[in-house]
Amino acid sequence: MPLVEHLSPRAIAGRAPDVFRHGGWVPMREYGDDEEVDFTIVGTGAGGGTLAAKLAEAGFSVVALDAGPFWRPLEDFASDERHQDKLYWLDERISEGNDPIELGGNNSGRSVGGSTVHYQMVALRFRPEWFRSRTTLGYGHDWPVDWRRMWECYAEVEDALKISGPLTYPWGPKRGRYPYREHELNASAEVLARGCEELGVDWSACPTATVSARRGLSPHCVYRGFCKIGCATNAKQSTLNTFIPRALAAGAEIRDLSMVTRVETGADGRATGVVYQRDGQVRRQRARHVVVAGYSIETPRLLLNSASPKHPDGLANSSGLVGRALMVHTNHAVWGRFQEEIRWYKGPPSLAVCEHWNYADDEKDFFGGYAYMSQGPLPTDFAKTLAESEGIFGTELRRRMADYNHMAGLKIVGETMPQERNRVELADETDRYGVPLARVTYSMCENDRQLADHSLEFMRNALSAAGGQELFQSGGTAHLMGGCRMGFSREDSVVDGDGRSWDVGNLWICDGSLFPTGGGVNPSMTIMALAVHIADRIKTLAGQDAL
Amino acid sequence: MTDSFDPPYPNYDILRKWDSPSYNQITRDVLTERLTAVPQRQFLDEQEWRLLQAICDQLVPQPERTDPVPITPFIDAALTENRTNGTRFAGIPAMREAWRKGLAAIRAEAMAQHDTDFVSLDAHRQEALLHRINDGDAEPAHWDGMPAQRFFRSVLLKEVLAIYYAHPAAQSEIGFGGPAAPRGYVRMGADRMDPWEAPADRRNR
Amino acid sequence: MCLLTDSAMKNAPDCRRFTCAPSSIGSPAPSDRGTETGLTTGRVLGALGLAAAGFLVLRAAERNRLQPQKQADRSRRADAAIQMGRASSLLAGSVFADSAMEHLRGGYHRRAMYVAPAMAGATLAASTSSRARLSRRNADLRDGIYLAGIATGLTGLGFHLWNISKRPGGATRMNNFFYAAPIGAPGALVASGLYGLAAGRLVRAPQMTSRQEGRLVGSMTALNILATSAEAGLLHFRSAFQNPVMFLPVIAPPAAAVALAAAVARPGRQMIKIARAACGTTVATGLAGAAFHVWGVHRMHGGWHNWRQNLLAGPPIAAPPSFAGLGLAGLGALDLLEMEAQP
Ligand SMILES: Cc1cc2nc3c(=O)[nH]c(=O)nc-3n(C[C@H](O)[C@H](O)[C@H](O)COP(=O)(O)OP(=O)(O)OC[C@H]3O[C@@H](n4cnc5c(N)ncnc54)[C@H](O)[C@@H]3O)c2cc1C
Ligand code: SF4
Repeated sequence: MPLVEHLSPRAIAGRAPDVFRHGGWVPMREYGDDEEVDFTIVGTGAGGGTLAAKLAEAGFSVVALDAGPFWRPLEDFASDERHQDKLYWLDERISEGNDPIELGGNNSGRSVGGSTVHYQMVALRFRPEWFRSRTTLGYGHDWPVDWRRMWECYAEVEDALKISGPLTYPWGPKRGRYPYREHELNASAEVLARGCEELGVDWSACPTATVSARRGLSPHCVYRGFCKIGCATNAKQSTLNTFIPRALAAGAEIRDLSMVTRVETGADGRATGVVYQRDGQVRRQRARHVVVAGYSIETPRLLLNSASPKHPDGLANSSGLVGRALMVHTNHAVWGRFQEEIRWYKGPPSLAVCEHWNYADDEKDFFGGYAYMSQGPLPTDFAKTLAESEGIFGTELRRRMADYNHMAGLKIVGETMPQERNRVELADETDRYGVPLARVTYSMCENDRQLADHSLEFMRNALSAAGGQELFQSGGTAHLMGGCRMGFSREDSVVDGDGRSWDVGNLWICDGSLFPTGGGVNPSMTIMALAVHIADRIKTLAGQDAL
Repeated sequence: MTDSFDPPYPNYDILRKWDSPSYNQITRDVLTERLTAVPQRQFLDEQEWRLLQAICDQLVPQPERTDPVPITPFIDAALTENRTNGTRFAGIPAMREAWRKGLAAIRAEAMAQHDTDFVSLDAHRQEALLHRINDGDAEPAHWDGMPAQRFFRSVLLKEVLAIYYAHPAAQSEIGFGGPAAPRGYVRMGADRMDPWEAPADRRNR
Repeated sequence: MCLLTDSAMKNAPDCRRFTCAPSSIGSPAPSDRGTETGLTTGRVLGALGLAAAGFLVLRAAERNRLQPQKQADRSRRADAAIQMGRASSLLAGSVFADSAMEHLRGGYHRRAMYVAPAMAGATLAASTSSRARLSRRNADLRDGIYLAGIATGLTGLGFHLWNISKRPGGATRMNNFFYAAPIGAPGALVASGLYGLAAGRLVRAPQMTSRQEGRLVGSMTALNILATSAEAGLLHFRSAFQNPVMFLPVIAPPAAAVALAAAVARPGRQMIKIARAACGTTVATGLAGAAFHVWGVHRMHGGWHNWRQNLLAGPPIAAPPSFAGLGLAGLGALDLLEMEAQP
């Protein structure tokens, strides 16, 4: 696996890699460092990449920087878990708290395209009530965006990614038909379906961001099942092969392997651009607006590291909330052995979903909800789960691993409560760029535990109803949300409903760190929908001369 | 550890697909390197290397193999390159230091319990000692503030398993489909397989 | 060997990526040839398919024109019989190849799965065996085979419905209609058998008037076309009509079915002419469809190099010729209808 520091930038000299062709290039507009562009965006993942495309298409000049490399999936992605570690943010971060979270490959990507390059493509919408969870459900915070507005943005994103989903989705208000049809269920998804049928709850083919039929230069998914370590066929619809090509075509510049270390501010306290390192050089990009989209750890880290006399506690941090209320999803799972061979390595890992417990308010005595999906972990991934949750190693572990092809599992994406004690801070130690390491503190609360316990019991029943034996369970977390929440007032949030900093008028945030609450579904669709919303708002504000 | 492992897919070898569309070029390159260029010792000293090898033999015993999957060399290589995995849990120092410290602690545990080096213990004692650490019963005095169980599970065991199960031999033994690009799979149902997958589990036939 | 098209060539001036570092493990092999490359092959195939289809339409039209108005009824009936025979063959051939492939995909996990291709093969043999040697005994044997084919088709239908019902969610889930055993496919075998029987009747002494015969075959064909079109529509919908040409089989054949039905209802000169053109187009659709499906397989990831996956996972090449068979049956029915349209 190549180390990031040994790679050289590819998006240079007026061209960027063509993600759809071996050795291919597409033309790319370039801007000088001294040229003051309309927007410079830090991070090109679900939030940043989407925003870059939308802003460039609206006619703004855009330079988007990413600390990670610019891959061509067809030639760069191996069918090898160890090698593909190259997709993750592997720089050290310190993890503390009562329930310290695993970072790296567990929740952080580092590539042009961000974490979507290795996401598992589960493409779900929030439940409408979650945008007002304080008011309607009694916990967390309300979002400063109306759910109907989000519903429009979801539809746009789903069309941009040609989500393959069911004709009718069993939960929540009516949504339009998904642009592509649902995928065939693999055996592991059928296990989930059987369990639900037995217990009398609804289930659905999972809306998935990989195409069930050809789409332009993306071929039909070949069901190779390596999605989590990068899709080598381009069937997966990540930011890398959807919004990034759009951004380039619309005249944005994407700078790969460019690590932003600081957002610079002028004497008036407004942002003037960013300092970044590329190819061993320290450079500055001037910009009228700076957007930070580095995800829930890097975004707060960058803002905290950008303190200046005008912003002594870090940029955009007059509320003291930068880095606060970091959330994860609990990722508890139940696994079982089946007599027949499931061979869960085939197909996208989560082809079926049950969102029952996101919607059934009356039947539960905890806040929040969870969805659970069918599973298909790759060998090293599953070996680690076995070792960790069963506390085994040696011949016993090899024997249990020999049942790999007989296993099926159900795993939740469980909502956790936003707690301000869960946070990102700067440590004393610095990294190779001279930026202080992130120190991440995480502890579950009682409600989080109740939710996890409830899910474990339910999934146990479901899995054994479907024929699973020798059940065992595992814990863990997935995804990051929050850390710079959006809200209604400068005291209670870092940015407003447009993603704009209360403190610095030309500083924006556009990524998963905006989430005031976590919801019980995977976050990327909501992040992209927010990006669409923010882009539209920026267009509107520009039209009103209010930027 | 004498009782051995009984493979459910005895005649299956994912490397036989090497020339088929299941392997793309980069996968071939990556595996060629892994299989032919096993790294030499650079970071660990000889004693640490032998100790780590003995530990790996317990974590993933391969008594039936004449040519066991190499693990120690890849750990050493990662340490040589100073690779990190993105998470440093509280109490665990940076990677290189953590491994040195962890190995020293295991050596100290062996010394304290059996008055001899871990390497010279019989397999049974070695295994029992590692189980104690895994179960959270290590002697904190030997670990210099580093959480022993966390080191054992989240650093040591994880890395060993990541290396072992990334090896074609290990993937063949569990009947995993192996590399699958550009060719993926067609038959998705239970007990249905493509001709380029492992034939049915011996135990089910 | 370097398998790049011009455009990819320009982008990748060197072919190094296809040369494998020598290794002790295996020999170099070009692996995932760019799936985007070689569009030309696909276009050529598509064009060839369209050309062949066009040729057939022209020929049909020409034959129509050249047909002397006063030709004896006997030979008109024989012509219709030949059309029915061809229809039966094409359908049987399509079912033979398609069920062989689809059941291969299903791993032939049930013995009964061999029956479909076997009976389709027998039907094919029966319908293609020389008509000249049509002895009474042979004819009976053939009828027997057709009847067995029809029975197989009906049983298959039952099996496929059962297959759907036992999957999670059963008939309430679209997933099962998309991906479980297709309901319509065995129907093609039934149709093939029926056309075979019809061909047999037509070479024997008539038991009803030609118009009655034409009406019978014509309405059956209209229904068959609609059913087949529905099946194609379902599967093309499953693929999100990702290519506009995928609308063809849900537009052209149903139009032919309507025209045919109209001709059955009022077998006037003009209507028969229109229906004839529409049936010709259905033949063309079937043939072009096969060519498009060849192209579609090529466009799957890994293209033809990955044929073991893509022949099964890609669009079924053998399915669209069913339309060609039905189109021919329609033409045969029109032959019969036309006889009484003569003064
Ligand atoms: C294994 C895995 C599976 C997942 N599966 C799903 C799923 O099935 N469904 C779903 O909805 N979500 C899934 N997710 C989550 C989803 O991928 C993320 O929530 C989403 O991508 C986050 O979007 P983002 O824009 O906030 O950050 P990211 O997409 O992570 O993008 C952040 C980018 O910013 C860059 N960056 C950060 N700091 C800097 C800096 N200082 N300078 C320059 N660049 C910087 C990073 O390199 C990175 O590329 C998964 C995540 C993982 C890890
Ligand atoms: S299963 Fe589909 S999405 Fe996943 S890696 Fe394979 S082709 Fe890509």
